[in-house]
Amino acid sequence: MTAAPFAASPAASRGRPRRPGARALVMMVRAEGRMVARDIAGLVTPFALPLLILLTSAAGASRQEVVAGRTVLDLYVLPLVLVMVLAFVGVLNMPSFLAYYRKSGILRRLAVTPASPVLVLLAQAIVSAVQAALGILVAAAVAALAFGANPPLHLWSALGALVLTAAAMYATGMVVAAVAPSPSAGTAIGLLGFLGLGALGGMFGGRESLPGPLAEIGALLPFGAGVDALAAAWAGQPLPGQALAALAGAMALGTVVAGALFRWE
Amino acid sequence: MTSHSTEGPAVRITGLRKSYRGRPAVDGLDLEVLRGETLGVLGANGAGKTTTVELVAGLRRADAGRISVLGLDPVRDRAALRQVLGVQLQESFLHGALTVGELVDLYGSFYPSPRSREELLDLVELQEQAAIRFEHLSGGQQQRVSVALAMIGRPRVLILDELTTGLDPAARRRMWRTLETLRAEGVTILLVSHAMDEVERLCDRVVLLGSGRILASGAPAEVTAAAGAPTLEDAFVALTGDSPQDQEIR
Repeated sequence: MTAAPFAASPAASRGRPRRPGARALVMMVRAEGRMVARDIAGLVTPFALPLLILLTSAAGASRQEVVAGRTVLDLYVLPLVLVMVLAFVGVLNMPSFLAYYRKSGILRRLAVTPASPVLVLLAQAIVSAVQAALGILVAAAVAALAFGANPPLHLWSALGALVLTAAAMYATGMVVAAVAPSPSAGTAIGLLGFLGLGALGGMFGGRESLPGPLAEIGALLPFGAGVDALAAAWAGQPLPGQALAALAGAMALGTVVAGALFRWE
Repeated sequence: MTSHSTEGPAVRITGLRKSYRGRPAVDGLDLEVLRGETLGVLGANGAGKTTTVELVAGLRRADAGRISVLGLDPVRDRAALRQVLGVQLQESFLHGALTVGELVDLYGSFYPSPRSREELLDLVELQEQAAIRFEHLSGGQQQRVSVALAMIGRPRVLILDELTTGLDPAARRRMWRTLETLRAEGVTILLVSHAMDEVERLCDRVVLLGSGRILASGAPAEVTAAAGAPTLEDAFVALTGDSPQDQEIR
């Protein structure tokens, strides 16, 4: 048995503690990715869910053109499906996973290392986002091939809206993850958040059928704002400023609140 | 940004108090651990051992009193302290689906100058388990991984809570050899243990806690002699009214 002579770490000797940086984030993302890849059950949700939602929603959607060659399926169903997937994975799935980490003691072990809560949350969000993106790609391919769905008239706007919506949903989910005391509580809070955001965002019928104040609130929450932004991109219209501001606000507020409330135990 | 001190005791605890729902777990504790010293922290279950080391590690906030680890406050100077402190918790779990080597690489990435995978696995004698998932290791091997990860950042102060609980005799001796290597390197070690033979072999000094206070302290032989007991275990029983084996059984 051999061991190198003890030496204080250079950063500590200098007296200026160095936070783990990009390398640690890459390692953490790789570790999370391996964990997901080695858990078959964990792969089902992000890949099967978009397809299921699409199949249940797209079959009854009208193929009648609404604007510029785009149908009800393109303008209303697809944006709703994509936002539902992001909300499900971001607000419900990811917080449950982090709550499990907390209960199992993994977060407690990380708490005695230089790793910061932001590093853990960020890695979790990145891996989860990659899962969701792959799932959405599969769903979009099936929508195009099986249901004749059309791409958005403004593709880059749609991609931007998708990324911003994902960021807002994950920020919301991180708040849930930060405060949920147990996996079951994480699931319960996440489910309430998912259903609440969805109900106000038009998941159970158009937002126009909601009472006026509720519809206005729904338009300012990540679900409704995400649907509005994506629908505009599909129709070839400029992305609505209110929706963009609402999504950016949710992303910023959620990140700050999650960082402040995060508990290792 | 605060830097760690290179003078004075490695750990200084003054008037430390911590209660849970009004019940004191640590009750006005004063303690110093010298640099390079291995201090055994003994006591009956509920004596305040784990709470004390968790306060030192910054995992809990004290109700009153002060803690200084290499001149750093565990809560206020968290980021600086994590660079020089290694902790093996009594109860902690790792990502079970990752292999030993992957865990070492992951935890090593948190530190600016970590021990290499080869050096670390050599130190805890787990070279042959590098490609095995953590969840497939035996309890003793998992414990050694946990200790390895506590050492990965080349800590100046190391906290080991129940280091060898659940290990077979051979695994315990392997762990002892690892600790002796660290002692020789000048690492300050706080060792929470119920194993008196382990404490006698490894520790320069022990503190015996009861109800969050120090009942006795000194070199193992001094504590034994002061209690008028033939062994440290007998001294433990005389001072706490309980035996360490009974503690473990409970």
